Amino acid sequence: MSYAIEVKNLKKSFGNLQAVQDASFTADAGEVLSLLGPNGAGKSTTISMLSGLLAPTGGDASIMGHSVVSEPESAKKSLGVVPQDIALYPDLSARENLIFWGKMYGLRGATLKQRVDEVLEIIGLVDRQKDHVDKFSGGMKRRVNIGAALLHKPDVIIMDEPTVGIDPQSRRHILDNVKALNRQGMTVLYTTHYMEEAAELSDHIAIMDKGRIIAYGTHDELIKLVGRETRIDITINAEGGRVLEAWRSTEGVARIDALDGTLTALVDDSNRVLPRLFDAASKVGVRITSVDIQEPNLETVFLHLTGRALRD
Amino acid sequence: MKILDIALKDLIRSTRSLFLIGMAFAAPLLITALIYFSFGSIASGNVDMPTINVGVVNLDVLPANSLLEAPLGESIRSMFFDESVQSWIHASDYPDEASARGAVNAQEIGVAVIIPASFTEDYLAGNKDTVITILQDPTLSIGPTVVRDMVTSLLDGVAGGGVAFKVLTERSEANGQALDPATIPTFFETYSTWYANFQRAMFHSPDKAALVVKSPAEKGDTGNNVQSMMGMIMSGQLIFFSFFTGAYAMMSILQESEEGTLARLFTTPTNRTTILTGKFLAVLFTVIVQGAVLLTAGRYLFNIRWGETGSFLLSFMGQMFASVGLATLLVSFIKSSKQAGFVFGGALTTLGMISGLFTANIQIAAFDLMGNFTPQGWVLKAWKLSLAGQPASELVVPFLVLTTMGIVMFAVGAMLFRRRFA
Repeated sequence: MSYAIEVKNLKKSFGNLQAVQDASFTADAGEVLSLLGPNGAGKSTTISMLSGLLAPTGGDASIMGHSVVSEPESAKKSLGVVPQDIALYPDLSARENLIFWGKMYGLRGATLKQRVDEVLEIIGLVDRQKDHVDKFSGGMKRRVNIGAALLHKPDVIIMDEPTVGIDPQSRRHILDNVKALNRQGMTVLYTTHYMEEAAELSDHIAIMDKGRIIAYGTHDELIKLVGRETRIDITINAEGGRVLEAWRSTEGVARIDALDGTLTALVDDSNRVLPRLFDAASKVGVRITSVDIQEPNLETVFLHLTGRALRD
Repeated sequence: MKILDIALKDLIRSTRSLFLIGMAFAAPLLITALIYFSFGSIASGNVDMPTINVGVVNLDVLPANSLLEAPLGESIRSMFFDESVQSWIHASDYPDEASARGAVNAQEIGVAVIIPASFTEDYLAGNKDTVITILQDPTLSIGPTVVRDMVTSLLDGVAGGGVAFKVLTERSEANGQALDPATIPTFFETYSTWYANFQRAMFHSPDKAALVVKSPAEKGDTGNNVQSMMGMIMSGQLIFFSFFTGAYAMMSILQESEEGTLARLFTTPTNRTTILTGKFLAVLFTVIVQGAVLLTAGRYLFNIRWGETGSFLLSFMGQMFASVGLATLLVSFIKSSKQAGFVFGGALTTLGMISGLFTANIQIAAFDLMGNFTPQGWVLKAWKLSLAGQPASELVVPFLVLTTMGIVMFAVGAMLFRRRFA
């Protein structure tokens, strides 16, 4: 079977640092695949290899059947890349930027003009097309940043954390755009460390940590990894060490860790386990000051797999 | 086609960079303008030496038994009526001091020269109290100074003649030979003729007093020193700013790296050679435009003739290749645009200095020697030859050296870039 994106045992080392280790995953044509992981997990390195910026140390990847190692030019023609940071010419207008990037993808003449007009519509900047990009807000720049990757109607688009550091309105606009592009048949590889975005957008999710793909599947498949476990975040009025050992031995607690001054527990049934946790705390003289119960989600999955929070 | 797209994009960005526009065009043109306002009128040959109205009162008479044929006062007087100074001195005789003083007060004349009756007798007798009085209009400065210098110079000449006569007499006596009195007038006549010619040749004419420059390349003109100097100064400027502009324009690759657009370009189906060549073209075009502007300004503001067409083109092309090559090499060593100011300022100023760009109008052997090892030095050699009116065949060697330097520097720089962005 031919995949839109196929990654096989991809490796990348920088000296002694193994940034990506044997990463493998696939994405069918027309699906949204999210690469989810904390900062430094290896997401950007992986997509840098897919987009031809970095040469893999080992393994291979293909875009629409074209190897990024042996047929990089063909692979790039099928690919649109939205970098994590704004990669535009600040002293050119939005339209000038789009025209230039369109030319770099081989568009010319009437086709180029038509696509620039269409993309300006898509990103909602028709009225501001003649303004220099450095006059734009962060969200507007993000939209042009995405638009530049859409001009040649790529089969696959890679978006590297496109919503970092922008306002909720622009974020919503970008997420809606991703869905719209996907509805048009575009395959999207979306990297993020926001589990909500991955949950909302993705057909499949690959969770990455320390250079490895530690889980891959649909949202529901990943949630099933943690079974019926509920996450409970507890804040106490004392040092966590006094109560941690007592809670670890409490029946119904799958695991408990101290994260960012909060004790985070995975439990099988919060209604049943929570009273036991209060009792155990009272016995060691610790008072619980707040409790936050969360149903299983991707954050829970990551915690379950690594013992760390996704945002760490 | 993508090469041109990249070059065009860089050029558009360059036109929107105030700093680049300032350094490439505004700064050199501003300096050009300053030089123009300082020397422009001289360079263009429009020397307006104001006429000096001089009144001469010559009361001097020849003493009895004098060896001279005419009193010294007559020599001083005739100096102001000499044909060689008529274009800038208008002299007239006055019978006495009172009438001359009245003419000065009425501003009919700017300077009055009053030679006393016993001037020759007193001067030859070594009487230090003898004086020539010079009256002047207090609103004038240059004219009276020139008149005073002329009188002083003539008296120095007379004194020199006295010394010469004394030496001649003493040496004749020492050799036991008596000086024939009949030869004495001939001696003074010979000396005074020589001295008058010497004075005329020095500064009795504004054409000699002020340097007037025409290009040495202009056939038939030889003494155009100021214009030649302007040509040298302008060529030094042209070279310095050309190398600076090239380096700054090439820095766009670092800016692109920092802006993330270079990485993004690498994700498009555009190979690295195309990208680098496009940027190279943009720098080359910028340097050409800048050079053309400065050369045109030099031609029309200073009337500098840059040389024969072939020589001019070889100099200009050699300069372009060398500046773009050095720009590529320099920028390949720089890690970020923040380092650029320091590196460009240091490297280009030092190279320019040791190549003699800032002293282009002065021959300094050490700079000539060091210039053999710098691209700027060879560009300066090429322009000097072209400005001197040398044919293109004389510029083949500098051109080949510059082209080779440009290619080698570009190749090394391009290799370092490819490694960095591999």
